[in-house]
Amino acid sequence: MEHTVNAAKCMKCGKITYPTHFYCPACGSTDFGAVAVEGEGTLLTFTRAYTLPLDYEDLYLTLGIVEMDQGIRATGQLDIDEPATGIRVLASVGPVRDVDGRTVYGLKFRAV
Amino acid sequence: MRDVAIIGASTTQFGRAQWSLLKLMAEAAHGAITNADLGGRKIDAVYVANMGSARNNRQAGIASALVDRMNLYPAAADTVENGPASGASAVKNGFLAVASGMCDLVLVAGGERMREVNNIEATEFVSFLSHRYAEYIYGITLPALAGMFARLWMNKYGVTSEHLAMVAIKNHSNAMLNPNAHIKMPITMEGILHSPDAEMNNPYIAEPLRFFDCCPVSDGAAAVLLAPAEMAGEFTKKPVIISGFGQATDTQAVHERPDPTVLTAVQIAARKAFDMAGLKPRDISLAELHDAFTILEIAQSEQVGFFPEGTGHIALEKGETQIAGKLPINTSGGLKAKGHPVGATGVSQIVELVFQLRGEAGKRQVKNPKHGFALNFGGFGNNVVATILTKGA
Ligand SMILES: [Zn+2]
Repeated sequence: MEHTVNAAKCMKCGKITYPTHFYCPACGSTDFGAVAVEGEGTLLTFTRAYTLPLDYEDLYLTLGIVEMDQGIRATGQLDIDEPATGIRVLASVGPVRDVDGRTVYGLKFRAV
Repeated sequence: MRDVAIIGASTTQFGRAQWSLLKLMAEAAHGAITNADLGGRKIDAVYVANMGSARNNRQAGIASALVDRMNLYPAAADTVENGPASGASAVKNGFLAVASGMCDLVLVAGGERMREVNNIEATEFVSFLSHRYAEYIYGITLPALAGMFARLWMNKYGVTSEHLAMVAIKNHSNAMLNPNAHIKMPITMEGILHSPDAEMNNPYIAEPLRFFDCCPVSDGAAAVLLAPAEMAGEFTKKPVIISGFGQATDTQAVHERPDPTVLTAVQIAARKAFDMAGLKPRDISLAELHDAFTILEIAQSEQVGFFPEGTGHIALEKGETQIAGKLPINTSGGLKAKGHPVGATGVSQIVELVFQLRGEAGKRQVKNPKHGFALNFGGFGNNVVATILTKGA
């Protein structure tokens, strides 16, 4: 099954917001269409987190915020050994966590 | 609107509690009540600040449970949950109840017993504050958000790991003078950053933040008793006036902020509090800031208006924020060393300011303070409450 992570595109003014809000931050409209978070972006900041919440067996997780070329930012996991701010990355969707025995899919970024 | 005074203040020892959450809160509340001379007058309302009793301590309806545990019926009782800013939010609600004229005597108690669960459970529980679909599912924790924030801040303003360590060293040293602090352990730059053992003593938690950049997981409770300022003289010789508060919210997902280093809710909450009090940042004698992570003390010290942008770490370096400095910050030891029992924190910041303004802070007493400022930071800055206290006449 193909998984996607969706942002919301305002049907009135065209602004894309991620995550979604009930009211458009630009024009106040409540009418949105789904648009996939996808493509390339630039790594804004990142951390290697060693104190992890439940359900992770990893030693650490590499997490980051990416400025997508789509004009939004997104938080996700980085499959990058030596991340650095400003590098170009590509988004994909994959398993990011198990919650109550169910696999949750989300954004994963690798270097391009 | 009536002026509101704090007529009683108290805190328990912070750390790993032997008592239940209710017993902790009852002891703090009893301390605040007996701190004033009520002459048999009954408490009209109780506000309880707590974030996790239903999950961590198997007790929901914690405000009603506290009234019952203490025997304060038929006082009105409400629980206030605003994450790590629950404490200041509860004081704000108590303030509004008294200021409006609806209540005369209001008890505000904040408490958390986080060590009833293990550290992973505690980290998980606090990570519920993040955005469920845009942050939480990735394994985002509060330390991870703070790490990403710290990297941006350090790159932008030339702040180093040594600056972060200076916050920890100062606050640990202040906590040594606070009998109720969780961590009473002096630390040195050499020991936590430069010695051969530093890597082991002070490992990364969320790069670039290390162990000593993060607050501990604590149990504890704190309480204040509020009354109309015009009646305060009946109950105490040393009233402290709540002269200002301000509150503001911001996006839950940190990545959505136009500039993630700008803590808009901090700026707005502080400005509102200063406007209400008719004061400027330079009028403040001492401040308790929300240093859950060392970087936050530096960032907040600028964004509430104490220091110009990009100079908080320089003021720190010069010793201006030490107890004997121009603007002492976190005389209590802060969240970093006094400890951070989430629901108690905002109330305990206010308790520290009350002790200082009454001249009862012992070895950590600041000289003749007049106005104190507290900043209680909910989530990762998505709900922030600022409070200003002024020494009563
Ligand atoms: Zn719109």
